Amino acid sequence: MLNVRTGFGNPISFPGWPRVSVDPQDPVRHVYDSPLVIANIVSLARLAVGFGISILIGMIVGLAMWRWKALDEFLGPPLLGVQTLPSVCWVPMAILVLGINEYSILFVLVMGSFAAVAISLRDGLRVIPPLYPRAGLMLGARGWRLYRYVLLPASLPAMATSLRQGFSFAWRSLMGAELILVVQNHGLGFLLQAGRDFSDVAQVIAVMIVMVVIGMLADRWIFAKIQSAIQTRFGLN
Amino acid sequence: MSVAVPQRSEISTASRVAPQTRTRGMLRLDHVTRLFNGSLDHGLQDVSLTCQPGEFVVVVGPSGCGKSTLLNLAAGMISPTSGTVELDGQSIRGPGPDRSMVFQDHGLFPWLSAAQNIEFGLKMAGLPRSERKDRVASALHLVHLSDSANKLIHELSGGMRQRVAIARALVMDPAVLLMDEPFAALDAQTRTLMHAQLQELWGQTRKTILFVTHSVGEAVRLADRIVVLHAYPGRIRREIRVALPHPRNFDSADINALVRQVRKEIEDEVNRVNRATSDAYWKPEAPADLDSDSGFMGGGI
Repeated sequence: MLNVRTGFGNPISFPGWPRVSVDPQDPVRHVYDSPLVIANIVSLARLAVGFGISILIGMIVGLAMWRWKALDEFLGPPLLGVQTLPSVCWVPMAILVLGINEYSILFVLVMGSFAAVAISLRDGLRVIPPLYPRAGLMLGARGWRLYRYVLLPASLPAMATSLRQGFSFAWRSLMGAELILVVQNHGLGFLLQAGRDFSDVAQVIAVMIVMVVIGMLADRWIFAKIQSAIQTRFGLN
Repeated sequence: MSVAVPQRSEISTASRVAPQTRTRGMLRLDHVTRLFNGSLDHGLQDVSLTCQPGEFVVVVGPSGCGKSTLLNLAAGMISPTSGTVELDGQSIRGPGPDRSMVFQDHGLFPWLSAAQNIEFGLKMAGLPRSERKDRVASALHLVHLSDSANKLIHELSGGMRQRVAIARALVMDPAVLLMDEPFAALDAQTRTLMHAQLQELWGQTRKTILFVTHSVGEAVRLADRIVVLHAYPGRIRREIRVALPHPRNFDSADINALVRQVRKEIEDEVNRVNRATSDAYWKPEAPADLDSDSGFMGGGI
């Protein structure tokens, strides 16, 4: 569109409007058989597995840091450091340690997001009113019951926040990893890079839009909904 | 009496199983000293206090005198540095269902409904669902909140929350009810209503109640016996028996005279502490503002 109006760039890198929209020649094939649909499935599957691992590790680490102060002092600063490191910076390490495969992509995703889950869970647990465990103890919730019936539900708002935080980190990490690590299954990041390799700006823009839409839908339709449901229950909003 | 709602005891199987022992609920602190990091700040020194079964004991005193420490010792949340704390002859080793606590900020769980909050302790005790349901219904009925059973905590008013908290404590059928300034956060009108309700509840259940407050008016209205604590170090300064019959008319001349008398005791105590802990610029004749109830109509004249 840009070159039509302004003449900016050359027609190869900046095609006109029709090229960016759906291929009019073969709409059916485009929808059902396109690399885009497969890439979406591949990326979302990786996200599900990787983010699942990330939640598991992050919640265990966050809970442990909340429970044991010494561990918090030991792990807290490095974890904050890890969180500030852009996740693609884990790619060279992933390649050297794990090679170029699914595992290295998952590694980058997990390293890029578990710290966010851990830290926001720990922060949320810290603000649980001490009255709740006291009341729980007085009502006979001892040992694991105190965790299961008092501390776990009391930490739900913190968990919702940590999930939402963690997801945005996980999604960005995954896209970065897929962009660089080319493995057998092609995810969205690969398609984006392929667009660049074939000088196909239409594909680049289309894939970027898909990435943004998935990220936003997941955030707004899943994680924000969970968060808001919990906050309503707790009377926090 | 071991049932939360005596008049509806037929619906609770536990009420028939539990022995109806009137002697249940004797709380005894014997020469209890509790230090915090070796200091007497908020601590107690050589305190002996016995609450008889069914007695309503109110502890008043200036802040920092160890009122809450006393309650936490009875609850088993902390243990004494020396001395013994016993309930019905059994040494208290930790929190247990024979002692229930009502907190100032209710301490209700916001993720549960009113009924689920009341059910919580019964669930922890492993009671079957049908019995839990019956006892929760009785407890809700007792505090006149049957219509609000399924409301969430943030949907209830301050007074309703405290009533749920009291129901949650009573449904456990404790030997002793411990109350830590339970009405301090309520407005004056609601507090007066709560005093009347608590009197009614106590009349029905005859639990031993150990009640902590900084409000003299509250103490005089509710107590069989008022225990005035001394601060720095925390000791019992005086015990005042309130012989007025229950339920009490809170506006009566007897109550007001007694309120004045007890307030004088505590003002002396606060001034003594302030003289001891302040510098030379302190004016000991400054009035001690102890009674948050002073706005109560006619209460503190």
